[in-house]
Amino acid sequence: MNAMTGEAADYSAGVWEHFRAPRNAGVFPAGMAGILAGRAGSARHGREVEWMLRLDGAGRITACRYRVYGCPATIALCSRTSEMVRGMSPGEAAAYSVVGLAEELGLPAEKRAAALVVEDALRAALTGYNSKQSPPSAAMG
Amino acid sequence: MSDKTVYMDYAATTPVDLRVAEKMAGCLTCEGMFANPASAHAPGRAARGMVERARAQVAKLVNAEPVEIIFTSGATESDNLAIKGVMHFYRDKGRHIITSRIEHKAVLDTCKQLEHEGFEITWLKPDQDGLIQPAAVRQALRPDSVLVSIMHVNNEIGTVNDIAAIGRITREHGVFFHVDAAQSAGKLPIDLKALNVDLMAFSGHKVYGPKGIGALYVRRMPRVHLDPLIHGGGHESGLRSGTLATHQIVGMGEAYHLAREHLTEEIPHISTLRVQLWQALHAAIPKALLNGHPTQRVCGILNVSFPGIEGESLLFSCQGLAVSSGSACTSADREPSFVLRALGRDDQLAGASIRFSLGRFTTAGEVDAAVRIVSEEYRRLRELAP
Repeated sequence: MNAMTGEAADYSAGVWEHFRAPRNAGVFPAGMAGILAGRAGSARHGREVEWMLRLDGAGRITACRYRVYGCPATIALCSRTSEMVRGMSPGEAAAYSVVGLAEELGLPAEKRAAALVVEDALRAALTGYNSKQSPPSAAMG
Repeated sequence: MSDKTVYMDYAATTPVDLRVAEKMAGCLTCEGMFANPASAHAPGRAARGMVERARAQVAKLVNAEPVEIIFTSGATESDNLAIKGVMHFYRDKGRHIITSRIEHKAVLDTCKQLEHEGFEITWLKPDQDGLIQPAAVRQALRPDSVLVSIMHVNNEIGTVNDIAAIGRITREHGVFFHVDAAQSAGKLPIDLKALNVDLMAFSGHKVYGPKGIGALYVRRMPRVHLDPLIHGGGHESGLRSGTLATHQIVGMGEAYHLAREHLTEEIPHISTLRVQLWQALHAAIPKALLNGHPTQRVCGILNVSFPGIEGESLLFSCQGLAVSSGSACTSADREPSFVLRALGRDDQLAGASIRFSLGRFTTAGEVDAAVRIVSEEYRRLRELAP
């Protein structure tokens, strides 16, 4: 309970753990080839997420990084999503439901917006790949 | 509370002073003052004596007469009793109330309720320093104005309103003046004989007393009449019926007695720690912004905005630190603090703000720990951000 606003927030242990120690956060070294990037949201509206995905020659996601501005749920969703999409094809990653992940993590319904921003940024990163249907060259969205 | 937690939320509530707890314990059991203070027998009269002693202790802190102090369940009830009580009693006199947008919810929601009942409210905006200017009160007065309700110290940013100047205006115009003093009693000197205040709300638990007890000052000269909220038994001069909670009242009395004893030493001590906290935070995070007037503020409250990070994450990151924030985006209609918005802070800044409130038991070591926790977590969240 926030004593000043009277509002309460409770997060599951899973959300809490990812928030405190986010996996795969940060960026790839500058100039690294084969990176897909995309972003969604804005700090002005409370959440902003930028994804960077590294694909191998076979078109599989071998690693991913992200930068995130947002509430603990947004940060935790980025962290868990970064683990989930590793090894996926771009098509599989684009179909991945972060909203579903939010439900699995027990996030309250009002945090659905956080999941949508994480999902939108992920799909924005994959848009370039899907339109070209080939592994990308170095790119930053 | 964990031993490791640094408690800097004294504006939310304070721990009960051990000396207060001991006095309270003496009113509960067979050996103590457990009897009903309204009973005519000897134990009842003894309990009544304790209650009246406490009433005098509360009155003395704010230089009022004991007969002007009515015990309630807390400052929220006191605000309700003051505002509804006056407006209902004087409904034939007028239907206009002047208050501000930065009042505690106990005042805001009470006025909104009266608005539903057909009363008219003028909601004053604070200036850029978070203060309600007396001139704004004067300008808002109407022939049918009955009551002005302005808080003494703002609970979010700690700014101190000039209630002496506002009181001169209300008295000149024959309008009642109610002041929520939940954040000021025991934190700065209050002299009700010198102030033109008609009603003042007090809390027990903000002053190292127990929760569940408060008081309302009701001026006798010139007299203010109130319609009671609670009927039955006619306790507290008919203004607040219900068996008096001797232990709570005695606790509040002792807390106010101790506050008066320690006031002159506590104000400079806590002010020094607050200044140290701000200077160290500002040195560690140069972009941090102080909210509210730099000097016209209560000793223990510091409100700071942190650019470039999200408020709820900041608050949740600082787990070793018990503070409050204007942010908590769990609500579907997340609304940044109007107080901070009025100071010119945008939504991000208003959300990423922390209220540190220091008190009697705060140490310099805790100030250092708070600075370390906030600056480390600020850096962590900045590194995560795009």
